Amino acid sequence: MSDRYELVPLAHLYPGMVLGDALLDAQGHVLLAEGAVLSEASILSLARHGVGAAPILRPHPVAEPDPSAIQARLDHVFRHNDRDDHADWATGLLRRYVEDYRLAREVAP
Amino acid sequence: MSAAIERADLLGGVEDLPSLPAVVMELLGSIEQEDIDIAVLAKKVSSDPALTAKTLRLANSSAYGLQVKATTIQQAMTFLGFQATRNLITTAALTGCFPAGRCPGFNDKAFWRHSIATAACARALARRVRFNADYAFTAGLLHDIGRLVLVTRFPERYQAVLSLRDRNDSELIEAERSLLGIDHVDAGVALAEHWHFSDTMRQAIAFHHAPEATGAGFLATIVHVASAVVHALDLAGNPDELAPRVSSVAWTALGLTEEAWLQVFHETELQYEEMSAILMA
Repeated sequence: MSDRYELVPLAHLYPGMVLGDALLDAQGHVLLAEGAVLSEASILSLARHGVGAAPILRPHPVAEPDPSAIQARLDHVFRHNDRDDHADWATGLLRRYVEDYRLAREVAP
Repeated sequence: MSAAIERADLLGGVEDLPSLPAVVMELLGSIEQEDIDIAVLAKKVSSDPALTAKTLRLANSSAYGLQVKATTIQQAMTFLGFQATRNLITTAALTGCFPAGRCPGFNDKAFWRHSIATAACARALARRVRFNADYAFTAGLLHDIGRLVLVTRFPERYQAVLSLRDRNDSELIEAERSLLGIDHVDAGVALAEHWHFSDTMRQAIAFHHAPEATGAGFLATIVHVASAVVHALDLAGNPDELAPRVSSVAWTALGLTEEAWLQVFHETELQYEEMSAILMA
């Protein structure tokens, strides 16, 4: 399984979907090339060739959020907050909670 | 730079501001009234097709989890209740009523994104502290409305305010005070009077930057914190988003655990995304 595409069963294929990988028949012949856009006709043809599922490109590549980028952005948003300023503890707490939330850190219940 | 804007100037200017559909004025003025004839109101709203369509799309969004779709305002009121429907009508009317793009540098879309998200967050907070969630929603939506008054009335001077804010990396309210002599809170209060908002709403607008002041009221506390949370969550799409200082008095008054806060963040994001998709379309 790839991050770029997922196997979609024949019954859930629709015209306009894009193949994320080449589609081969049982003999290894290419039925449709990577990047091909499915049409009504090509879906019927896949059915005739006994193809059960097709590798369909995901709408957006699944990108892992980068924790250091998230942290940098939060530091920018909270640039007026000084973590060591205890008089401003409420802003400090909000900052910590939003960090926990954005970075999906473990939070004690 | 020219002199401070006089309050009279501002109030005089409010006359030139867009007028809300009469039915929305009625809704806003009657927020504390329970004995309104709902059937009559529903009929009035229904005579405005654009307003009706937008309201129904909001009512049918998954934020409200209706099993059956509402197809009329009357149905929405039956399914969601009068208060919640009134909020949606107000939201739908307000987001379309100020002219956009008059003041270069002022991002109208970001303004509304912030207001919608603050409304969603204020509602989520109100539910947890057993405060009227519908007041909280409307107050969250309206808290910065004075900014639109300033932008609409004094576009050139507001452009200078925005540049000053950028140069000093200060909060917008500080730049407003130093260049205009008044701020969006003053303008918001003036508009609240002009549009006959209820006292509760006017108080919330007046004190959302000073929730610890005597007589500020709990709604100002909710809106103050909700607005800060939305800045912190970075939802409006401003490259230079700045989290403001949170009043520790207001934070303490809400008394939520971290777990509850994280749920509030999540709820706010979900609701905000859906509502802004409908309203900003």
